[in-house]
Amino acid sequence: MTESPSMTESPFAPLGVLEEQIVVAVLRTRGEAYGMQARREIERVTGRELSIGAVYATLDRLESKGLLTSSRVEEDGASRRLFDVTPEGARALADTRAMRERLWHGVNVRELLALARA
Amino acid sequence: MRVSEDTRLRRSLPRLPIALLRLLLPRAERDEVLADLTAEYAEHAARAGRPQARRWLWRQAIHSALPLLGWSWWRGWTGFEPRANAYRPGGSMLRNLFADARYAARRLRARPVYTLVAVLTLGLGIGGTAAVYGIARPLMFEPLPYANASEVGMFWMPGWWTEEEFLYLRGNFPGFRNVAAYRPGDATLRQGDAPARLIPGITASSELFDVLGARPFIGRGFHEGDDAQGAEPVALISYGLWQELGGQRSIIGSRLMLDGTPQTVIGVMPRGFWFPDPSIRIWHTKPLDPQGRNGSYTFVGRVAPGADVHDMGPQIQRLTEIIGDRFQYHVGADKTQNAVITPLREALVGSMRPALVATFAAMGLILLIACANVAALMLGQVEGRTSELAVRSALGATRGRLMQQLVVEAVLVGIGAGLLGAALAAAGYRLLAEALPIGAWGENASFGWSIFAAAPVVAIVAVVLVLLVPAASLWRGDLRGTLTRARTGGIQGRGGRLERGLVVAEVALAMLIASAAALLVRSVANLYAIDPGITTNGIAVVDVTSSPQMEFAPRLQKVEELVRSLGSLQGVRSVGAAMKIPLRGGGDSFGVTVEGHPEAANTFTYFRIVTRDYFQTMGIELRDGRTFDGSDQPIAPDDSTTEMAVVVNEAFVKKYFPGENPIGRRIGDGFTSPQRIVGVVSDVKEAALTDDAAPVRYYLAGQAPWFGNLATFVLRTARPGDAAAVLDAARRTVRNVAPEFAVQGTTTMERVLDTAVGPARQIMSLLSLLSALALVLGAVGIYGVISHFAARRKRDWAIRVALGLPGSRVVRQIVGQGAALVGVGIVVGAVGAVLLARLLASFLFGVGTLDPLAFAAASVALLLIGVAAASIPARRAGTVDPALVMREE
Repeated sequence: MTESPSMTESPFAPLGVLEEQIVVAVLRTRGEAYGMQARREIERVTGRELSIGAVYATLDRLESKGLLTSSRVEEDGASRRLFDVTPEGARALADTRAMRERLWHGVNVRELLALARA
Repeated sequence: MRVSEDTRLRRSLPRLPIALLRLLLPRAERDEVLADLTAEYAEHAARAGRPQARRWLWRQAIHSALPLLGWSWWRGWTGFEPRANAYRPGGSMLRNLFADARYAARRLRARPVYTLVAVLTLGLGIGGTAAVYGIARPLMFEPLPYANASEVGMFWMPGWWTEEEFLYLRGNFPGFRNVAAYRPGDATLRQGDAPARLIPGITASSELFDVLGARPFIGRGFHEGDDAQGAEPVALISYGLWQELGGQRSIIGSRLMLDGTPQTVIGVMPRGFWFPDPSIRIWHTKPLDPQGRNGSYTFVGRVAPGADVHDMGPQIQRLTEIIGDRFQYHVGADKTQNAVITPLREALVGSMRPALVATFAAMGLILLIACANVAALMLGQVEGRTSELAVRSALGATRGRLMQQLVVEAVLVGIGAGLLGAALAAAGYRLLAEALPIGAWGENASFGWSIFAAAPVVAIVAVVLVLLVPAASLWRGDLRGTLTRARTGGIQGRGGRLERGLVVAEVALAMLIASAAALLVRSVANLYAIDPGITTNGIAVVDVTSSPQMEFAPRLQKVEELVRSLGSLQGVRSVGAAMKIPLRGGGDSFGVTVEGHPEAANTFTYFRIVTRDYFQTMGIELRDGRTFDGSDQPIAPDDSTTEMAVVVNEAFVKKYFPGENPIGRRIGDGFTSPQRIVGVVSDVKEAALTDDAAPVRYYLAGQAPWFGNLATFVLRTARPGDAAAVLDAARRTVRNVAPEFAVQGTTTMERVLDTAVGPARQIMSLLSLLSALALVLGAVGIYGVISHFAARRKRDWAIRVALGLPGSRVVRQIVGQGAALVGVGIVVGAVGAVLLARLLASFLFGVGTLDPLAFAAASVALLLIGVAAASIPARRAGTVDPALVMREE
């Protein structure tokens, strides 16, 4: 039996690929999630270079949707914008993941890998 | 040590990508992002070396540019500001711009009438100017399609030279490297069984393309000897005709049936080549005859190295001596007089310049009026917003920031107007091209991207013009002072003078156009008031041509057959044919001898060969004797004893038989047969509408042993309105009855008259339209400014009305204000109008450039419209309840 989508699924799910990556990165670097930090985290994990402009534009968009929130913190005498995930953002991320899993359900990973190697 | 390392790193930081990012990043985040990037740059440099780090930073800047731009736009548009930035100073410069754009767009949306008027008026001005520019460019600014065209000149008396003169002078034109002769040479082209069609062309001597310095795109140009006696005629065709004939390279060497004889195609001229005008599609040769006296050639020559086409005095002097020694010239056709070489551009397109310049000027004026209008509207907006602007200024907005908003609003209006203008120019250029008196250039005007490209350029100019006045007002004004004054009821509102100045300027500009239009209306009315001597309504005109090789007898037989067939068409009452009809240029003219008047020798008269019912059909009245009738029997071409009947006109009688009865008198020359005058008919305008009556002899086709290959059939319809309706049937009849004839064109006598009235009529229509537009724009401007004026002084009026001033006095005062502005504008405009009228001098007939009636008409029209426009806000102000106004304030 497949899981049926819940009635209260976030309207923002599924997130775009970069959006998803950024929300995850903010989660992973929680407490020191500056724009630059999030960018480096994604680069570190994916091994792909990412421009700061794309990251900031996406961070702003996510904040305007209410999925992230930002506040100012003082660090070494400089003011920096620190991001955190809102409950709505967490829900959107969780739903995105659930959707992906539903999508992957029934795909035989072993066969897929074999196909990829062929 | 660490510090110096840091400093070195910072110094090696590439400046350009940092500057780019600094420009694009919002101010609130700029410092921290740049600090982070610098720190990361340092890491990269330490790990992989500086060149790598530099490349990394460049990649960051380049890849960030687009998302950051989008981000700025998005923030500006949505107004989103993260909570974290709540207390941080402003966004990026770009973001401000986008925010302003959004604000301006909202303001424009909120005032649709203002926006519509501004965009429409500017759009019309921009579109018109761009379209005229697009049409005028190839004629006025682009180089002619000939090599070193400045070395080429046209000889005096174009269309009057003969083959004999050309062959006598050939190779010996003093001061010229090369001279070519050409004349009109439209040819009928027959392909298979299809009816013959007419290809506009010229026949030229073999030097033509050498003189012009033009090469065919494929094939060859004329070679020496192509125009020699016995040589086979050859032809070059235009690119357009080549495309129509299949566009194959194999056309070179093939033969086309032109005028009934095969001519070898030797070349195809490149696209964009034209000579002497763009309607010409074929350039061919004809064996030149050393005795040929057909005087319809034009000479065009390339000057010898070192000679200047503008300064050929001595060489021309020498040339006139040579021809003066060899040829005899009659008075009025003396080529040794008034000899001058006209530079090619002047000769080919010079005649179109006044029309183009006048239209261009009128369009430019419309654009200026539109700019003044929008500027006045915007100024009104600035004034209306003084309180808002003052508050914002008091809260710390800089003047530059306020100016930026104004600029953004103007730019938005400019973009809208530019788009509209480009669309209008693209849609209307053809209409305009045909409305302009530029002949083949108008018919062959093709859409160029220059028309499209001109629109944004004009739009930018317009925006700058629009901004000048409100910006000056904003810059000069004391905003904070306004705030205090506004509350105390400032009666003398700021900027009134500027606004009034704009209205005066608008009226003055409108006066320019209106008076020019009035002058042309007067002059065109004068032209139409001339009696051409013929009936112009209810006459259809069919021009046909046949091959010059066609024998006289079968040609005449076909002409007579056509007269009969066309006469039997439904709705046609009578039909005549002639080799040339009135109002279409001089045509054939021959020497005349008059029995008993030896002094008549060496004089010329027009010479017409017509069919029997020609006079009745054209409405030419009989004055004495009879016209041709059944008693005039055909005369065989070799019969030189039977007498020919001649009909002459009144001018002929006046000149050769003053005070005598011409009926029964014998005249001669032109034909070997004796000729006797049988009747006198009324004068008609032979060559041009403004010509004086000229002596004419008419001969009956069939008695005269000749009928040219060009014939014009005139069909009088039973009902005057049917002339255009029979043209289709007439075309079909020609095709069926005489397939060897090509229909050159069909028209009506009314159109022939229109054409004879000439360019003045076309320019008049265009300028009348533009002056109507100018008047409307002017009225809108006056209305706007007077509305503002009335609104600004509302309190003032209210107090006066409360103190007992009757409302009608208020109305009168406000209307008076409007009328005064219009009056000043008219005076200023009249001065300029005098200058503009000079430009039109060549189109004027029967009126001076200082015609008081035209100026008065334009002034009265402007004054009436001004008063009407001012009376609307005045009435509103006069009927307002003072109590209400006082309470509002």
